[in-house]
Amino acid sequence: MRTYILRRVIINIPVIWLVATLVFFATNVLPGDFVAQRIAQQDPTGGSDPALRERQIQAVKKDLGLDDPVPVRYVKYLRNLLKGDFGISYQTRRSSIEGLKDGLPYSLQLATMSLIVAILTSIPVGVISAIRQDSIPDYILRFLSILFLAAPNFWVATMAMLYVAQWGLWKIPVSQAPLLWEDPIGSLKLFIIPAVVGGLATGAGIMRLLRSQMLEVLRQDYIRTAWAKGMRERTVVVRHALKNALVPVVTIIGLSVATLLSGNVVLEQLFGIPGVGRQIVVAIQARDVPVVQSFVLIVATFVVFVNLGVDLVYGLLDPRIRYS
Amino acid sequence: MAQSQVSVDLPGVAGVPRSLSDRPVFVRAGVHIWRFITGKPLGAFGALLILIVLFAAIFADQIQRYDPNQTFTKPNPAYDPELAAQALVDPTVRLQHPPEVFEEGGVLNRLGKPSSQNWLGTDHLGRDLWSRIVHGSRTAVIVGFGASLIAVTLGVIVGLASAYFGGSFDFMIQRIVDTLQAFPPLILLLLFNQVVADPTLYWITISLGLLGIAQVVRIVRSSVLSTREEVYVMAARTIGASDTRIMARHIFPNITAPIIVVFTSTIGVYILAEATLGFLGLSDPTRPSWGKMVEEGRRQGTGEPLMALFVGGALTLTVLGFNLAGDALRDVLDPRLRGRGGRPGF
Repeated sequence: MRTYILRRVIINIPVIWLVATLVFFATNVLPGDFVAQRIAQQDPTGGSDPALRERQIQAVKKDLGLDDPVPVRYVKYLRNLLKGDFGISYQTRRSSIEGLKDGLPYSLQLATMSLIVAILTSIPVGVISAIRQDSIPDYILRFLSILFLAAPNFWVATMAMLYVAQWGLWKIPVSQAPLLWEDPIGSLKLFIIPAVVGGLATGAGIMRLLRSQMLEVLRQDYIRTAWAKGMRERTVVVRHALKNALVPVVTIIGLSVATLLSGNVVLEQLFGIPGVGRQIVVAIQARDVPVVQSFVLIVATFVVFVNLGVDLVYGLLDPRIRYS
Repeated sequence: MAQSQVSVDLPGVAGVPRSLSDRPVFVRAGVHIWRFITGKPLGAFGALLILIVLFAAIFADQIQRYDPNQTFTKPNPAYDPELAAQALVDPTVRLQHPPEVFEEGGVLNRLGKPSSQNWLGTDHLGRDLWSRIVHGSRTAVIVGFGASLIAVTLGVIVGLASAYFGGSFDFMIQRIVDTLQAFPPLILLLLFNQVVADPTLYWITISLGLLGIAQVVRIVRSSVLSTREEVYVMAARTIGASDTRIMARHIFPNITAPIIVVFTSTIGVYILAEATLGFLGLSDPTRPSWGKMVEEGRRQGTGEPLMALFVGGALTLTVLGFNLAGDALRDVLDPRLRGRGGRPGF
């Protein structure tokens, strides 16, 4: 077991290095110059003197450490990464992590609330749909889940905003975005709709997987044994069937934790939540290279280790899976 | 698919019932399609939705009722014929009233309600919404099929080679696939489209396709790993077939089922991704995109939800069609999933 974990961690190191390399070259080598763009926007003379413009560009590049050739910068970048230095944001001149840290609580709250909605809806619905297979409730629930998978979340969110607001049940709080521990009621008012929209979309996927897993497990011999022993339906379904059907569901939940944590760009944009997703869009539009680099690197590292964690949880939930 | 031989009423040679494989090819195709429709009604419904979208995309110029850029006007509600008649006699009347009172000509029919003239109403610039949606289907179809084709073509080549040769080459490819899958996809897409300065439809299609390769490689690789050990592959190698020949003639034909499934079921994902980009204002500005139209509808505020409703409905039905058809195809074609847990789900 220990050697298995160790091997997996070692395999992950080249992956993280590849992510760092790819994102470095994607942001540095491809066309589109941050400095020239910025100066062109801010130069009052409008670039009438090309020599002067060139001097300005060189000065700014030197200031940002962009005057070295790309390979030198690449080595420097990797060396700084090993030291835990992710670079300085071009926009704020602070460490590029700092800005993302500001947004993290908002994204975390949205992610947690969405995930709670997803689990609370998908697990009961998936179980009911499986144990009452081909009944009317099963058809309705399946239809709803397949509809929520197909409907784009920006459209569902738009419809929720337009109609719920039209019926006068809810107003978009535009002025500020409070966190749960700062202003519980105001925060819930802001987060409830995006959390439900995001959660139902994730939940629809989990529900479909859980249903097919449950159907498979319910046909196993040990379920028949449990019925034959005269156990209550609840015990059979929850203790014997659900516990075993949850194994692959854990993967999906784990992976959606990873994607939810990277900030839901669309929902944050729509509802004015100053989370990580919105900050990263701003950074991309401003070509703030270090912020984008560090964000992608952190998310990718997180995803890689969540995958490892999911595989290990598999072993805990299903003792038949052994790692060599 | 259906290896079971179903006897047909027509007697064959010497009264022996003829098997389906003796019938002409279009009869066989018809029987298979009929079995698909009766066995998988939801999948058939999805296929119908796909056919409608394809039809709309191909014949957009024929089924549009108006040019998508033509604007519509409605009679000026503020026009007052009496005052206008007075103004002809006495010019000072004009100074006492706002100017639109005197203009008989129409004003732009912004966000018009559905009518016999405009079936789905008009958008925020007074253009016919039905024609806009029909033309938007072209964008969706190009992105969906294009990106899926790119991802499947490259993914099959890489996945086949990776699983066939194995060893350190396979290890390397798998780490690259891990890397691509670890990236937050939407962020990578945003980055890509910022880098290429002006995001044309073709750039978006190509970047989506490149991002989709990783998933295809995974699926192809796992199918090849089991096919590689088959006896006929060993036989081909024994008689001296080259690696390329084994891959192309012996392995590839046996992994077409998962390839077709992944091709169909990812089209919807790409259409959604393009719409999301459009919603965030990063799609090709010269083409009507459904995502962009939902965003335009949202901007009109709470009083006018119809535009966003119709456009989003079209988008949802399209994606629904591809999802349903993809799932049904998986049940029919993918033997690993066939017959799991009684009747397979949709």
